[in-house]
Amino acid sequence: MSSPADTARYVYGLVSADTVLPDGLTGLGPSGQVWKMTCENVAAIVGDVPDDRRLGRRRHLMAHEAVVEAVAAESTILPMRFGAVITEEGVMTELLAPQHEYFAGVLEELDGRTQYTLKGHYDLEAVLPGIIQNDEGMRALHERIRGLSEEAAHFDRIQLGELIAQALKARRQQDAQDIVDALGPHVAVRKVYEPEQDGDVVNAAFLVERARQREFEDAVDEVAGRFPMLRLKLHGPLAPYDFVSAR
Amino acid sequence: MSVMTQGGAGGNVEHSRGGGSSGLADVVALILDKGIVIDVFARVSLVGIEILTVDVRVVIASVDTYLKFAEAANRLDLYADGVKPKGLTDVVQDVTQAPAQGIAKGKTKGALEGAVEQIEDMVGGRREQEPEAAQRRQTEQ
Repeated sequence: MSSPADTARYVYGLVSADTVLPDGLTGLGPSGQVWKMTCENVAAIVGDVPDDRRLGRRRHLMAHEAVVEAVAAESTILPMRFGAVITEEGVMTELLAPQHEYFAGVLEELDGRTQYTLKGHYDLEAVLPGIIQNDEGMRALHERIRGLSEEAAHFDRIQLGELIAQALKARRQQDAQDIVDALGPHVAVRKVYEPEQDGDVVNAAFLVERARQREFEDAVDEVAGRFPMLRLKLHGPLAPYDFVSAR
Repeated sequence: MSVMTQGGAGGNVEHSRGGGSSGLADVVALILDKGIVIDVFARVSLVGIEILTVDVRVVIASVDTYLKFAEAANRLDLYADGVKPKGLTDVVQDVTQAPAQGIAKGKTKGALEGAVEQIEDMVGGRREQEPEAAQRRQTEQ
């Protein structure tokens, strides 16, 4: 058996010391076990580490997330980014001891709240007719392309696609703003990101009071109803990944 | 597991809960990009375990996207005065699914899974050849 000085521990996240871990957690290490290491009023949720140089497999990612979300379902957790490995001794001396007050402060801030992520993109079938018909240039290109083979129209197609992308981009700013504003009254904190791809509309994370989860989810449905040309995806409740600073 | 909302709201929101029900793409976007970080590399050298940094950013080339948009537009019949040519229903279904899931989700997800597979290959390439590793592990503990 290795000594604590060089035993590796995988850290899933941080909770308040009095948090009771749910039953049935399965970690990514060979033992599958997950337990708490406590320092003052903060505890690290840790487990053993695969010892065969294979951390990073799909099942490790899923196990990390499953542990974090199972804890997050009932308690406030500060999730670690994937791949946090530290010696058993280091969990206490380097992670918790020097920073437990900071962690406790963040835990208190997030207490009773949970995260949702909302992403959405345009349903092209619904949105394109209006966009093309209202623009003479696009209309002309569209008409020309229809009579040509894919190869012959290659550059026209790129041009039309680019114009469509620009039009969607111009439109999405207002739509994203309207969506986020409409959800504003139902959330505690929000973080809005730039959409990742052309055609995407909204990419935002919301911190929601647990007591108001249902209300928030209903609000999302209601907003979605007002934007039938969007396809939205609501992910959550989740651990507050977007609301812990990446130290 | 993802659940489409029924009734109300036009059904254009897909709800997915956290935990084991998430897709790999959602999980990757969260846990590789966000969350608290400790100085992993210092620790790693201490314990002799390799951790790969995984920078999975999926960039779909603009031209590719443009062509997809044009293709979607091309399948729309804007000038038929309400008379749909034969087979349009099929095509339209295709359009809804192609950009919605093909570009935004399926393709991204595919790329992410591809990346993870690649990592698995890199990291776990010798898995089949080293059954003794598992035995060793058990003996030690």
